Amino acid sequence: MGFLITTLIFLVVGIIASLCVRICCNRGPSTNLLHLTLVITATICCWMMWAIVYIAQMNPLIVPILSETE
Amino acid sequence: MGESRGGGCCPPMDLMRSETMQLVQLIVPMESAHLTVSYLGDLGLVQFKDLNSEKSPFQRTYAAQIKRCGEMARKIRFFKDQMSKAGVIPKELLEKESDIDLDDVEVKLGELEAELVEINANNDKLQRSYNELMEYKLVLQKAGEFFSSAHRSATAQQREIESEDSQQAGDDLLESPLLQEEKSIDSSKQVKLGFLTGLVPREKSMVFERILFRATRGNIFIRQTVIEEPVIDPSSGEKAEKNVFVVFYSGERAKSKILKICEAFGANRYPFSEDLGKQAQMITEVSGRLSELKTTIDAGLGHRDILLQTIGDKFELWNLKVRKEKAIYHTLNMLSLDVTKKCLVAEGWSPVFASNEIQDALQRAAFDSNSQVGSIFQVLRTKESPPTYFRTNKFTSAIQEIVDAYGVAKYQEANPGVFTIVTFPFLFAVMFGDWGHGICILLATMYLILREKKLSSQKLGDIMEMAFGGRYVILMMSLFSIYTGLIYNEFFSIPYPLFAPSAYDCRDASCSEATTIGLIKVRDTYPFGLDPVWHGTRSELPFLNSLKMKMSILLGVSQMNLGIIMSYFNARFFKSSVNIWFQFIPQMIFLNSLFGYLSVLIIIKWCTGSQADLYHVMIYMFLSPTDELGENQLFPHQKTVQLVLLFLALVSVPCMLLPKPFILKKQHEARHQGQSYAPLDETDESLHVETTGGSHGHEEFEFSEIFVHQLIHTIEFVLGAVSNTASYLRLWALSLAHSELSSVFYEKVLLLAWGYNNVLILILGIMVFIFATVGVLLVMETLSAFLHALRLHWVEFQNKFYEGDGYKFAPFTFIFTANEDE
Repeated sequence: MGFLITTLIFLVVGIIASLCVRICCNRGPSTNLLHLTLVITATICCWMMWAIVYIAQMNPLIVPILSETE
Repeated sequence: MGESRGGGCCPPMDLMRSETMQLVQLIVPMESAHLTVSYLGDLGLVQFKDLNSEKSPFQRTYAAQIKRCGEMARKIRFFKDQMSKAGVIPKELLEKESDIDLDDVEVKLGELEAELVEINANNDKLQRSYNELMEYKLVLQKAGEFFSSAHRSATAQQREIESEDSQQAGDDLLESPLLQEEKSIDSSKQVKLGFLTGLVPREKSMVFERILFRATRGNIFIRQTVIEEPVIDPSSGEKAEKNVFVVFYSGERAKSKILKICEAFGANRYPFSEDLGKQAQMITEVSGRLSELKTTIDAGLGHRDILLQTIGDKFELWNLKVRKEKAIYHTLNMLSLDVTKKCLVAEGWSPVFASNEIQDALQRAAFDSNSQVGSIFQVLRTKESPPTYFRTNKFTSAIQEIVDAYGVAKYQEANPGVFTIVTFPFLFAVMFGDWGHGICILLATMYLILREKKLSSQKLGDIMEMAFGGRYVILMMSLFSIYTGLIYNEFFSIPYPLFAPSAYDCRDASCSEATTIGLIKVRDTYPFGLDPVWHGTRSELPFLNSLKMKMSILLGVSQMNLGIIMSYFNARFFKSSVNIWFQFIPQMIFLNSLFGYLSVLIIIKWCTGSQADLYHVMIYMFLSPTDELGENQLFPHQKTVQLVLLFLALVSVPCMLLPKPFILKKQHEARHQGQSYAPLDETDESLHVETTGGSHGHEEFEFSEIFVHQLIHTIEFVLGAVSNTASYLRLWALSLAHSELSSVFYEKVLLLAWGYNNVLILILGIMVFIFATVGVLLVMETLSAFLHALRLHWVEFQNKFYEGDGYKFAPFTFIFTANEDE
């Protein structure tokens, strides 16, 4: 559940970012496409990194074993 | 990853492919040629081809003009040298200075140079005389001291001698004072003593003495005195340590020997008279002349400084003008003369979008030079490969340079720079991951960006130049580092539960098993990033290593797939369906049925929490694919799926290797079947130029070469699939190194210093911590991660699709770099 919600959040942030970029630097269709590509790539990279770390911790095989001093 | 990018459906994307270039031919009448080239240089969008490449530099039309410009450049360099020696700084060039005529400049430069040379020569002469007089003065003073002290002891001795019996041996004469009046003591050995005075360099003084002694067989007497401060030697102009010497000799032969030896040693001699009155007179005379000379020299230097100031005012203007003119004449030399000898013909590459601007410039030049005829602008058709031109701004130019450093894109090939803008800082951040360090780098680069205008006009050192040039890349790197730092949950290696409490807790209230069996997961997964409990635990490394290795594989497979998809876009753009069916598809199938399948297995294992051993699964998929999987089963029918994927992978390899050479051969035959006499549709001018392009009307097709090429390509891809995927594990390795170093610095330096409860040790600890963090982590690790991220892009990403054998568009422009002397 948490996974889906956060994925949706990433999606929304990505859409907002592309809209912002379109609004503030609107410079012709080819440049807009470039900006859109960059924003989408960045969003996907960030989401992938988060998703990997999240899924890896969902069903852990190793649990934390505290060290002696603690 | 295959969302809608540029292609047939959407408009073309900026920066994805090179601008369309065209070969243009300009026919320019002679009288407007110079102005035309000047305006085109201001525009900066035409790359001229050298049409006179067979001619030597001396045979070209404008060789004389270039010599003129070379002379003027030499004079300007001479001025610059003189100005820097005198400490005069040339005035900064304003934006729009009025245009000046080259002939005027030439005349002025000649005049100024003659004047400056004359002033310098006079100065040198005066300075030399001044130094000689200084030395003479010193000789007068020191030798005067000799004689006066000798005179005092002589009178004292004389009184002693008179009071004793006169039984002195003749040898004593040499020891006794030297004034001529002593002749009266011994009349039998009456010799006329002469003496010479002068200065000798200190390091040679001992040798000087010895040689004098030997040459004259010991019949001289020499006294030397050290001069405390170094004197300026008149001939060399530098300070040297010298001694004043007085040599007493008898006889003409000895005198000539001594003179020769003095010359050999560079010892300057000065006349000296024993008479006390004359000595005093000489000293005052010399002092007077010295002060006169000093004022003259100062006046001369003042005059020179004024001259240099006037030069300095106009220096930058002249410099720029001369360099511009030289560039224009070099370019004019590249144009060829028309048959009628009334026009010059130029050929060059220019972007298609610049056609209007170029025609505009041509018209203006024709108008401004009052020529009867206008210039002609014509587009040529050619098979030559045009240069590659990307229109970049200050943000994208740094990344484009990084991509170009590996190889400039072939004309209209897909530019990896588009994705590199994002993926390069991202992969850097995966290896750097610490939001504390990220903030430090962000602050540093914000400083560079905010002082952009000021720093870009200054001259920075080499390293600062590189850092300044890449400031936007570093900005992206720092932003992504802050993000990955939040995900790895490391702030100078300290984790914080920023988003929610940790998901792990003790098994029971007493927490007795926390250090043996460990905690258990009681709440929902930590929502953003790595759970903060892991840091410092005993099982931290096994968990993190497993996580980061799998993350590296997943990211690597994604980037490689992106690379193969870029090759699909290339194939579609160049309309090569053989590349789509027999390169793109087999490559996708091969990579994904092996490593894509591995990625899927990783995700399934994480989602289900299965205990399957993925190494085992992958290896035995190859070794014994028909075996039962047992506890390594992750999903039903896994064995069948694996068999199918293995079969697909094995089939795709010959698909990559065999069909393409045969199809290319058939295509070549079909193309050239009815074309034994290919029509010449290029103009005469450019035909002979094309021999260098290597594209004749009749292409050569070596089947064996194509086949071997395809074989190499296939082997490279197949083996590379394994090695490149493993290469991505460096993301894990560097990230581990960074976090371990950071953790060591924090625990072993800062916490240790804190533990002593002593302010001095704490301060020392903080200093060491800061230096270690900046030096090792912020500088060395940044460079290291930068390098490895770069390698991942250049090799693993780009070898899937990039050819990079084009050449860069180098237009004729007047924007010189600061250090260009040509």
